[in-house]
Amino acid sequence: MAPVSRALRAAAGSWAVLSWCCGTAMGGPRFGAAAYSSVPAVSSRESQTKEVSTRRRGRIPQLVKSHVPPRTEKMAVDQDWSSVYPTAAAFKPASVPLPIRMGYPVKRGVPPPKEGNLELIKIPNFLHLTPPAIKKHCAALKDFCTEWPSALDSDEKCEKHFPIEIETVDYISSGTSIRNPKARVVTLRKTEMWESEKSEEDMEEYIWENSRSQNNALDTLLQIKASENDSNVTKEDLLASEVVKNYRSSVIALKNEGETEKNMSQYKESVKKLLNIQALP
Amino acid sequence: MLRSLKRLVSHPLKLDHGCALHTAAKHCFSPMVSQDVQTPAETPRAVFYTSEKDPAKHTEQHEGQHYHIPLEEVKAVFPHGLPRRFQQQIKTFNEACLMVRKPALELFSYLRGTNFAHPAVRYVIYGEKGTGKTMTLCHVVHYCSRQGWLVLHIPDAHLWVKNCKELLPSSYNRERLDQPLQASFWLRNFKASNEHFLQEIKTQRRYVWGKRESTEEGRPLGEVVEQGLARVRVASDAVGVVLKELKQQSDLGSFRLLVAVDGVNALWGRTTLKKEDKSPVSPEELTLVYNLRKLMVNNWKGGAIVTTLSQTGSLFKPSSAYLPQELLGKEGFDALDPFVPIPVPNYSPKEFESCYRYYLDRKWLQHEKAHTEAGKEELRFLSGCNPRQLERLVAPL
Repeated sequence: MAPVSRALRAAAGSWAVLSWCCGTAMGGPRFGAAAYSSVPAVSSRESQTKEVSTRRRGRIPQLVKSHVPPRTEKMAVDQDWSSVYPTAAAFKPASVPLPIRMGYPVKRGVPPPKEGNLELIKIPNFLHLTPPAIKKHCAALKDFCTEWPSALDSDEKCEKHFPIEIETVDYISSGTSIRNPKARVVTLRKTEMWESEKSEEDMEEYIWENSRSQNNALDTLLQIKASENDSNVTKEDLLASEVVKNYRSSVIALKNEGETEKNMSQYKESVKKLLNIQALP
Repeated sequence: MLRSLKRLVSHPLKLDHGCALHTAAKHCFSPMVSQDVQTPAETPRAVFYTSEKDPAKHTEQHEGQHYHIPLEEVKAVFPHGLPRRFQQQIKTFNEACLMVRKPALELFSYLRGTNFAHPAVRYVIYGEKGTGKTMTLCHVVHYCSRQGWLVLHIPDAHLWVKNCKELLPSSYNRERLDQPLQASFWLRNFKASNEHFLQEIKTQRRYVWGKRESTEEGRPLGEVVEQGLARVRVASDAVGVVLKELKQQSDLGSFRLLVAVDGVNALWGRTTLKKEDKSPVSPEELTLVYNLRKLMVNNWKGGAIVTTLSQTGSLFKPSSAYLPQELLGKEGFDALDPFVPIPVPNYSPKEFESCYRYYLDRKWLQHEKAHTEAGKEELRFLSGCNPRQLERLVAPL
């Protein structure tokens, strides 16, 4: 009797699981069928294995527990959050009292709620690192730290004495490469000697000062002034004049932003003013 | 096979047998259609044609209208300057009519207001393919030659950086290369257009061409040109001498110099020429290009430099490139900076109308549907108001 009953229960249990998995989409009519189908399963013992595979309809009501209210309903507003999430843990919808929704809204819908939401569980969360929690960490670590050196009271001094900063990142991410793309970025605040050999082709953006354009413009203007016998003008005066500034901004726009109608017409106007071109109809 | 033209038309049409363009027109040649067209074409001629032959007097009221250049003047002023299809059109219509457009008028106003004591201003005409940049340049050349300027017209600088069969090492400077054929061709045309100037301008120093040949100081510049034409080997150096002398002497103010270069982006691009050891030639290694570049710098006065950018015929540039920085490259832009850019757009509705009426008047549009409004709109749509496209579309009609 015992092995039979065990087998029976096992069969019934497995049959129940199968039907519970596959039967969620099926509604009312199937319960009638379930009522019917449960009887032959209990009665015929020989063909239980076959029946388990063929009968997949309906749910077994006795596996559903009575609904327990989630912990969030009992949480006070001013509770100590660091005791809810003391360490890094997965997202538990019943423990987080926030009405979060995440996921893709199917047509005319909204993002799915947090209950049973795999998207929320998959992603890393920082619920264990809220500001009060960090404060507690700092308070705990304070005993092991020395004082901040008082001489380093500004950012510039820090950068001057400690030019290299290393950032470490240690959370898991998945992607096509095992390297973190940010590891390729190096910012050095100390200028090396060989950087002074940087030439015009290496520049990331166009700088007008000391460029060919500036030289050309200044030469032309000096020639113009010489022809008018006005030799008291110096380079600095020319550079500070309105027309040259206008010209400078239009050339920079042209080189950095590319050529558009607006840029070209601006350049044209600035050159006309620079070279003092009159249009006589 | 020529049909009889006698009963038709007051303007005799000379069909050129050799030209393949016109064979299609012969098939559509029907006397009845042209008789219908005769009457409406005569009245609104004022819409597209102006009788003002002097470009100096062209103003905004002439905008969109064609003006007539007598054929003798064409030979004298433009021995080599006009685009090839326009030359064929001149041969067909037996007249040269150029449209007056806004960019040219703008250039005229600047040229009129030039201060010749200041360094030469550079103007760069740019625009998409087939919008009329070369024609604008030719209009400016005509204006300046009428005003009595010395016109130094280089019709297509791209011809100097490609397809050169003979490259000689230069005798003057070991590193450079000469192009005798191109140089002598250009000298011949230059002589044809500026005869009288060449007699007046004198050389300022002695030039030695070889063991027994030299040009003394004070001789007319025409002798240098003759030397270049007679001894083709030294033609490139002759060109260099001419350019240098003109640049130096225009400062003195006895004449005004217009430097008109078509396809100026060739000077700073790449060449397709190779030296004997198959290494590529860069433009500055060519004597002609080197000397012309010196003329493009604005350290001389007493004139103006008007240039065109051209993608057609350019080397290693994508066909959609038309903006100055794209075609000139960084080197060219820095060399020409600061310049006044002059954009040339497609035809405006008024200009399109004028061009269409002109073709109608010349009896170039023979297809029956082409005379209708619907036909005109179709032409407008198909060509996109682009002058070159329009010309190519109406050729077989």
